[in-house]
Amino acid sequence: MGIFDRSTAGHVTPPVEVTLERRAVAFFAETIGETNPIHFDIDAARAAGHPDLVAPATYPVVVGTFAGKEAERKGETDLIALIKADMRHLLHGTENYTYHGALYAGETVTVENEILGFVDAKGGKLEIAQIATRITHPTRGLLIEAKRDLIHVLG
Amino acid sequence: MTMTPATAKPGDTIPPLTFGPISRTTLALYAGASGDHNPIHIDLDFAKGAGFDDVFAHGMLSMAQLGRLVTDWAGQDKLAALSTRFTAITPVNATVTCEGTVTDTVEKDGETLLKLTLSATIDDGTQTLKGEALVRTA
Repeated sequence: MGIFDRSTAGHVTPPVEVTLERRAVAFFAETIGETNPIHFDIDAARAAGHPDLVAPATYPVVVGTFAGKEAERKGETDLIALIKADMRHLLHGTENYTYHGALYAGETVTVENEILGFVDAKGGKLEIAQIATRITHPTRGLLIEAKRDLIHVLG
Repeated sequence: MTMTPATAKPGDTIPPLTFGPISRTTLALYAGASGDHNPIHIDLDFAKGAGFDDVFAHGMLSMAQLGRLVTDWAGQDKLAALSTRFTAITPVNATVTCEGTVTDTVEKDGETLLKLTLSATIDDGTQTLKGEALVRTA
């Protein structure tokens, strides 16, 4: 007996377009303490051969979150709400990225989530939602495959 | 000679990185920068209502440090994969130390990749993240 809405297993969210704003990428990079200027200084990024700021390695999670907010603004149900996650009991279990191409500021990418399924652990004390996210560029194709486990701590 | 992805061998360690102490201000800024507005990280009233003594850091803020650890050494264009398991909560005001060791080489799609084992630990020695990275050698 869990909290997640397990009937959502297999659901794929409608694709959402997200534009990576340069200022947002720089703010994120500064907040995590990035010292490599390709992530926050446009001149340094270009001098290193990049078309714009390079999003840091964990920026895919931000793109995914922004996509969720875009979906909400369109009146769609955000992934977290869709699976009926309870923020008071929700922990992040795992996060995995496979990188096929760089994420650059200024680009518009498409984000799609798939609810892979739900599993129980520790004799029912934990329930785990398994989510996949794909970030795709219109011409460069699949850039990022992400997977994460979200965990409810029960009882 | 400085060790690079092209010269690294199993057993080699990459330069460590520390981040913190992670203040409440850092958590507020990370909430804004990441779009993760989960109040458990920024709202003491909410955290107490959920049964915690205090707010705690976003796990993804520590994973961002594992990302920096690897990309500072290898360059982001060499990073093929990054994964982590969050093994303990990171309390507010903790300092996170990130370390990485080359453990293996693997062949994938005709490429040679280094496999690194990564860890984040906090001041009292608790491991908070257990991670892995795949890094291109060429």
